[in-house]
Amino acid sequence: MAILNPAILALTLAALAVSLALLPAAVFSLRVLRQWDMDSGSERQLGLERSTYLISTLVAFAFAVELIALLLFIYNAEALSTQFVGAMCATGVLNVNGYGWPTLLLKVLIFFAAALWLQLNRLDNRGEDYPLTRRKYGLLLAIAPLVWAEAAVQTLFFLNMNPEVITSCCGSLFSAEGSGVAAEIAGLAPREAALLFFGGGLTVLGLGAWRLWRGRGGIPFALGGIGAFVTALMGIVSFVALYVYEHPHHHCPFCILKAGHGFIGYGLYIPLFAATALALGAGSAALHRHVPSLRAAAALEGLRSIRLAMIGFVWFYALGLWLVARSNLTLTEVWW
Amino acid sequence: MVIGGSIRERVARPSNRAMAWFLGLGALLSVSLAHALWFGLDGADPGHGVELVRELGLSDLALFTEARYTRHLSLADSHAAFQDHPLALDHFPTASLAAPPEHLRNPHVAGD
Amino acid sequence: MLQAIERQRYFIDYSLSSLARRRGKNLGLLTVYSLIVFLLASVMLFTQSLRQEAAAILKEAPEILVQRIAAGRQDLIPAAYLERMGSLRGVSEKRGRLWGYHFDPAIKANYTLMTADQHQLPPDGILIGAGIARARGLGAGDFLSLRGNDGKPAAFRVEGILPAETELISSDLILMAEPSLRAFFGIPDGLYTDLILKVSNPREVRKVAEKLTLLLPDTRPILREEILRTYDAIFNWREGVVFVLLMGALLAFVIFAWDKASGLSAEERQEIGILKAIGWETGDVIRMKFWEGGLISLSAFLLGYLLAYLHVFFADGFLFEPVLKGWATLYPAFRPRPVVDGLQLATLFFFSVFPYTLATLVPVWRAAITDPDSVMR
Repeated sequence: MAILNPAILALTLAALAVSLALLPAAVFSLRVLRQWDMDSGSERQLGLERSTYLISTLVAFAFAVELIALLLFIYNAEALSTQFVGAMCATGVLNVNGYGWPTLLLKVLIFFAAALWLQLNRLDNRGEDYPLTRRKYGLLLAIAPLVWAEAAVQTLFFLNMNPEVITSCCGSLFSAEGSGVAAEIAGLAPREAALLFFGGGLTVLGLGAWRLWRGRGGIPFALGGIGAFVTALMGIVSFVALYVYEHPHHHCPFCILKAGHGFIGYGLYIPLFAATALALGAGSAALHRHVPSLRAAAALEGLRSIRLAMIGFVWFYALGLWLVARSNLTLTEVWW
Repeated sequence: MVIGGSIRERVARPSNRAMAWFLGLGALLSVSLAHALWFGLDGADPGHGVELVRELGLSDLALFTEARYTRHLSLADSHAAFQDHPLALDHFPTASLAAPPEHLRNPHVAGD
Repeated sequence: MLQAIERQRYFIDYSLSSLARRRGKNLGLLTVYSLIVFLLASVMLFTQSLRQEAAAILKEAPEILVQRIAAGRQDLIPAAYLERMGSLRGVSEKRGRLWGYHFDPAIKANYTLMTADQHQLPPDGILIGAGIARARGLGAGDFLSLRGNDGKPAAFRVEGILPAETELISSDLILMAEPSLRAFFGIPDGLYTDLILKVSNPREVRKVAEKLTLLLPDTRPILREEILRTYDAIFNWREGVVFVLLMGALLAFVIFAWDKASGLSAEERQEIGILKAIGWETGDVIRMKFWEGGLISLSAFLLGYLLAYLHVFFADGFLFEPVLKGWATLYPAFRPRPVVDGLQLATLFFFSVFPYTLATLVPVWRAAITDPDSVMR
């Protein structure tokens, strides 16, 4: 029943279209892995080279759709919360059945994989001899099943939305007394969480500054980015959220997306996700800096990614700091 | 960047015209958003309607006045002879527009 | 960075002049495309606005409404039921509602008659909704004659007209004093149409409803959250159906776009051939074609949305009126109030821009990989 909501319809159609687009792309990837030979001038190789234009455009398009779909999915989950008993925000909607959280996790995973692929593709196009083609299509083969799984899980999620179910919302899931991963994170003492949050931030910013200063260390920066992403999410749940809501026990990572909090969540999540994706791209550029035809391009691309990623991270941590500073909540045990 | 060139030349450049076109449309879009924020429900108070609802204990919108079961959508009946709810063998046109009320689709008390 | 922008600008320049060379065809495409977006956007904006309006107004509706069910149908409920429920914990106020429908053959309209004790109306005085005033041409001081329960006409004096801003809930209302309504409908004292209960703590509403079904087994409680959800989902279903239907139109359009993109004229083929001969790469041709599609679809999205905004919020969605009206004589004249909703815009963007891009992808690629010599020969 719920499937006939325009946003759900759009998401389902988008998932379907992307899955279909990746079908020929996956078949093509297999052919590339088996037959790609840049030195050959055979008819087959020429055909493959021509097809790469179509496939890479198709995949770039599909991944662009995926990136936007992640945002739409969250926004939609937030909007649907009025239609379920017990749901106050996206958490409740995702809890309506067992497919909500897997869909979100898959979407986030695909987001990063897709962003990595897009940056790899961009880098590859800079090389005269397309040196990363095999690697690129190997990665694509790994992403495709994720996309298909996501389409299936998301469809199940929407089809099994039963308004009779009284769902549980953020109050019970993200509570220190509960069990499970969410509760574990929420139960983290604000002091440790703050240390993790800002520790991760300082690490990644330090690594980024080092890379910009010395021109090396792209891979540590990418790892630092991943670390910062994880600690930042934990920090939001167990510490930043408290300051935003000005309530010592409200740990929800989704309620900050609400209009009531000035959509501040989007200001946090979008730079964080973008910066982490760019950090991954910087890592892959650093990984390929020794490929002969990419030497100049990799350095250039890596620098560009890191600069943008640094902007994102600085934005994210500055906003986080500001949210804590302007809040009327004082958690004394955090600071001393 | 191409610097210089007369104003006429610059205006004539298609990408500049396209830019102007999209800036114009974008400005109109912003105007519509600002209008919605200003005059929309989010900003304005819902008016006397709320007062009246509270006073009289109203439960429904006077949107479809043609039939009992569409006038008071939320009070529509479950299946009974000569009485229906929206979508139950549509008779009046508007019955095909609205969905049956929540308590018929998801009875909260068994045997309701 | 500037260089990259300048490069894209040359692509745009080229795309635009290429679009302008087939002006008629492309303008036709843009018109049809904008029209589809316009329809989708109108449906979305209208239903969303109505939904929000309902939520804003009905949040003050009674928490619990109690109907008596006799032989499977709603029946009048004795006032004694108010005592029978005793004092339920959490219920701050309980009273009976007295109302009913009256069909006026003069204008073939259904009125909703209701008591309004707060207004201290004289026995023959009524307040009427703006919809009735409009349909019957009544003003304050005029008399309205209705055929009562006993077959005799009863004349009422219009004391006033309910404010026009409340028309969405009051268009067909006639408010009168309780004794007048009882006399008019022939409802004896001690009976009400239904009962309303106010519960201050939202957590206790369900508990109270459960107790009620035990205490008064022949009644049915209707909760405010159900009322709100009814109106939240009021058009969801049909909106979806409309969307599915419009999807047919969108699909037809996508096929049209595909066809247009793949059925490149000899002239266009030659153009691409020349471009490649003078050094454009396959990727460049694809990029140029993408810009073409992007410029058209973005224009269509913006134009369609803006037109829909004007249609719904300045022209009162006049295209939908006949549909919503049905056979009703009394239709509330209300101007939907706009709501900013990013989800709507994003969804619309999804629906309008992506299908077109996807449809033109393969044909564009096919055109871009053609050998220059094969088309120039």
